[in-house]
Amino acid sequence: MRWPPAVALLLATGGASAASVNVAVLDERGAPIAQAVVYAIPEGRRPAPPVRGAVLDQKNRAFVPHVLAVQTGTSVKFPNSDNVRHQVYSFSPAKRFQLPLYEGTPAAPVVFDKPGVVTLGCNIHDRMSAYVVVVDTPHFGETEKGRVSLQGLAEGRYTLRVWYAGLRGEAPSQELTLGAGDARDVQFRIDRK
Amino acid sequence: MWPRSFQARLLALTVTALVLLQAATLVALHVTGERNLKRTLAEELRVGARVLDRILSARGRQLSDTVRVLAADFAFREAVASGDRPTITSVLTNHGSRISADAAFLISLDGSVEADTLDGRFVGRPFPLPALVKRANSEAEAAAVATLDHRPYQFVVVPVLAPQAIAWVGIGFRIDESVLDEVRRLTSLDVSLWSPNPGAPATLISTLPHERQAELVPHLGSASAAETMRLGVDLYETLVQPLATADDSRVNMLLQRSFEEAQRPLRELELQIFGVSSAALLVAIVAAIFFARSVTRPLRSLALGAVRIGQGDYSTPVEMSQDDEIGQLAAAFNGMRTEIGQREEQIRFQATHDSLTELPNRTLFLDRLATWISAARRRGSRIGMVMMDLDRFKEINDTLGHKLGDDVLVEVGRRLRQTLRESDTVARLGGDEFAVMFETLDAASAIDVARRLGAALETPLTVGGVSIEARASMGIALFPLHAEDAGTLLKRADVAMYEAKRNHAAYAMYEPGRDEHSLRRLAILSELRNAVLRDDLELHYQPTIDVATGAVVRVEALVRWRHAVHGLLLPDEFVVLAEQSGSIGMITRWVLRRALGDCADWKRLGFALPVAVNLSALDVHDPELLTFVSGLLHDSGLEAGQLVLELTESAVMKDAAYALRTLRDMKTRGITLAIDDYGTGHSSLAHLKRLPVDELKIDKSFVVHLTATAAEDNVIVRSTIELGHNMGLVVVAEGVESAEGLELLRGFGCDLAQGYFISRPLPKEALLEWLAPRLTPR
Repeated sequence: MRWPPAVALLLATGGASAASVNVAVLDERGAPIAQAVVYAIPEGRRPAPPVRGAVLDQKNRAFVPHVLAVQTGTSVKFPNSDNVRHQVYSFSPAKRFQLPLYEGTPAAPVVFDKPGVVTLGCNIHDRMSAYVVVVDTPHFGETEKGRVSLQGLAEGRYTLRVWYAGLRGEAPSQELTLGAGDARDVQFRIDRK
Repeated sequence: MWPRSFQARLLALTVTALVLLQAATLVALHVTGERNLKRTLAEELRVGARVLDRILSARGRQLSDTVRVLAADFAFREAVASGDRPTITSVLTNHGSRISADAAFLISLDGSVEADTLDGRFVGRPFPLPALVKRANSEAEAAAVATLDHRPYQFVVVPVLAPQAIAWVGIGFRIDESVLDEVRRLTSLDVSLWSPNPGAPATLISTLPHERQAELVPHLGSASAAETMRLGVDLYETLVQPLATADDSRVNMLLQRSFEEAQRPLRELELQIFGVSSAALLVAIVAAIFFARSVTRPLRSLALGAVRIGQGDYSTPVEMSQDDEIGQLAAAFNGMRTEIGQREEQIRFQATHDSLTELPNRTLFLDRLATWISAARRRGSRIGMVMMDLDRFKEINDTLGHKLGDDVLVEVGRRLRQTLRESDTVARLGGDEFAVMFETLDAASAIDVARRLGAALETPLTVGGVSIEARASMGIALFPLHAEDAGTLLKRADVAMYEAKRNHAAYAMYEPGRDEHSLRRLAILSELRNAVLRDDLELHYQPTIDVATGAVVRVEALVRWRHAVHGLLLPDEFVVLAEQSGSIGMITRWVLRRALGDCADWKRLGFALPVAVNLSALDVHDPELLTFVSGLLHDSGLEAGQLVLELTESAVMKDAAYALRTLRDMKTRGITLAIDDYGTGHSSLAHLKRLPVDELKIDKSFVVHLTATAAEDNVIVRSTIELGHNMGLVVVAEGVESAEGLELLRGFGCDLAQGYFISRPLPKEALLEWLAPRLTPR
C-alpha cells in the first residue's frame, strides 16, 4: 500500500503511540465513492489552530481541486491561472464572500473561520463550482477510490463524519474511541442523490 | 322555337350552352362549397386548437428562457441568498416586472413558498403547483398552463443556482387576449378561454367582440365538444377542448368560426366566377356573331351567285378570298357555273340543232324564220323558203343500212349548205326533210335557188364507198306572197313539196288554195306514226259469204283509226298519206299482226275463219314483207291458207316485174291472193293473166247499183264474172247492198259476196256475236 506523504511523515516522526483509522466510503450498492471528505472531531479537546494555508486554483475554467477540505481558520488563496478573469463568490452561510473580477492572485487570502460547507461559483462561468469543506479538526482526508486513511490520531474519543457533495439525507457519523497504536477499519455506506 | 337565320341560331345555341354550363358550374360550386364548409370548418377548428397548443408551448419555452435568465441574475441570486423575506419579495417584484410576470414565487428546496408577489398570501404554505417543481427538479425547468385564482396562467419554475440549487423560483404569466389574438391572426378563428369556477361566473378571455362575449357567457356551462352556436345574429361553428394543465385545474378553450365569415371567400369566388362567366358569355356572343357573319356573308354571296346562274348569267364568278371549306365551296361553285354554262351552251345547241348534220333543227328554223319575217315585214323585203325531202330515202336506209343513210343525210346537208349564201339558213327538220330560207326578190329567183339546190344533189353521193344518186322533191313558198307567218309558210312549202312529189317533179311552187285540203292530211300524217305505236288503230271485219250457200267463208280486215280529235277515220283518209309518207309498211304490218292474232283467237274458239288483208302498192315492193308474214303465221300457228292478201290493180301494174316476183313467192308460200277493186284500173287482161292470183274482187262501184234495170252495170259485172271464171279465178263481189243485187249475182254465177246487205264491217266482239248463229264451231 502506498501511503500519502503526510502520513509517511507522521509515521517517521510520531512514534508507535499514534492511532490510525482506515475509512471506506461506499454507496448503497457497495461502489467506492471518491471526493468524499472524512474527518474525525476529537471530543473535549480543542485542536490546535491551523498552521498552513491552502490553495484553490482556477485552471481551464474549473476550480482545482473540486473539493477542498480545510481546518477552520485556514486562509485559502484563490490564484487565477487562466487568461480570463473570474469572479469567485459564495452565498454559503459558513462563508459569504466575493472576489470581484480579477487576474493573478489576489493579495488577501480568504480565511474560512466557520465550520461548514462553502459552495463556490464563478459569476461569469456558471458551470464552475467547488466545495470548501471547513472542519473543526486537523484530522481529515479525502477519499480516493472510496478509501482514506486518517493517521496520527491521539488516544481519545472521536466523532467520525463524512461529507459528500452528492449525499442524500443526513451525513452519517460514527463515535470512536481510539487507544494508543490502534488501527481501526471503518466503513460508511451512504446514499447518493 | 329556334330562330330562322343561321346567325341567330348559332347565337342562341352558343348563349344557351354557355349559360347552362355556367349555371351548372355555379350551382355545383355552391352546393359543394356548402357541403364542404361544415367539414372544413370542423377541420379548421381542430387545427386552431393545435395552433393554440403550439403557441402556448412556444410561449412557455420562451418564458422559461426569460425566467432562467432572471434566475441567473447575480443580484437576484444574492438577494435570494440573503434569506431576508422583504428583500426577496422586493427582488421578486422588481425582477418579475422586468419580464412582465403576473405572479412570482420563491420556493424553498423543500417545496414551501418563501416569498410571493401576491401579498405574501402563499408564504409558508406549499407551492400550489408541486408537479411543476418536481418536473423542474428532473428537467432543470418546467413550464405549463395552470390556474391561479380561477384564471389561466402559464407557469415556469426554474432553480436558483449558486451554483448549486438553493431555491426554486416560480413565475406566472396570465394568458390574455394578446395570446389569443395571435391565434386569431394565424387561423382567423375566434378563441375564448375560461376556467370554470363553480359558484361564480367564469372570467372569459376571448377574441370575440364584447357584445358577442356577453352572449357567449351563458353558453359556457353547457358548451359541448363541437356544436353550432348562435351568438346574436351570427352562427358559429364551435369546438370546445380542455387545455393540458400542470395541476388538476380545468382550462377550457373554445374555438369558433362565423359561418358568414367562412362563406365570404366562397361568395367572393362565386361572384368572381359569375363575373368571368359573364365576360366569357359576352366574348362568346361577339365571337359567335363574328363567326356567323364569316359563314353567312359568303353563303349570301353564293346564294346571289346561284340566283345569277338561275337567271342565265354564267359569266360573273362568285368572288371569295377565303381559303377554308367555304372558299372551296365557292371555287367548286364557280367551276360548276362554268361547266353549267358550257353545258347549257351545248344543250342549247343540241336543242336548236340537229345532232347528225349539225344544221339548225325545226325549232331554230321556225324561230329564225319568224325573226326574218318580222324584219322583212319592216323592210318590205321577201323571203323564200324551200322544203325538201329526199326521194327513196327509206329505200336507201333499208337496203344500205341506217349508218349509210345517216351519211347520206350529212352529205346532203353539207351540199345544201355549200350551195347557199352564208346568211341563208339550211335546217334539217327531221328524217330526210330539209328546209332552206333565203332572201329573195321574186318567185323566179326563188325557183332559181331551188334549181341550184337540186343541181347540188345531181352529182352522185359517194358514201362508204357506195355511189348513191339522191333526188329530192322541193316545195317553194314565199313571204309575203304565200303566208304571213313562219308556221304557215312552212306548211305551204310542205304542201308544195307534196305537190312536187305527186307530180314527180323536182320542185313545185305553192299554189294558193291547195293547203286547205292538205292541212288535215298533214296533221294526220304527223300523227299516224304515233297512232300505230300507241295502238290507236283498230280492225273491223266484214264477212264474205258464199253466194250459192250463204255460208260465211272468211272476213276482210279493214283498218280504222280512232283519232282523238277527228274521231274514227276510214282508211281512205290516211292510207294514201301513209303511202306517201312511207309509213304504210308500218300500218300493213300492224294490220297483219292484229288480223292474224285475231284469227288465231277464233281458231282457238273453234272457228276456222280465214282473214283477208289489204296490201298497198308499196307493200308489194317491200322485200321484207313475206318474211314478216311467214313469221307471223308461224308464231300464231296458222296455216298459210288462212290468209288472203288483197292487192289493187295499180299496185300490181307498177314495176310489174318486181311485183310478179313477190306475188309468186307469196303464192308459193300458200297464201291466197286477190285482185282488189277490179275494174277501176287499166290493167290489161293479158297482164292479169300472168299474175299468180286466185281471186278477183269486182270493185263495189259496179256492184252497189246493181239492179235488174241497170243494164250497163249488169253487163259489166256479168262479163267480169265470166271472164274471171274463164281465167280460173274465184270472183268476189263487193258492195252488195240489196237482196236484189245478191240475187242477180247468184244468177250471174258469182262465187263470193260481201257488202252492207250481208254485214257492215264489225268490231271483233260484234263479229263474234254476228257469226254465232251462222257458224257452228268446227
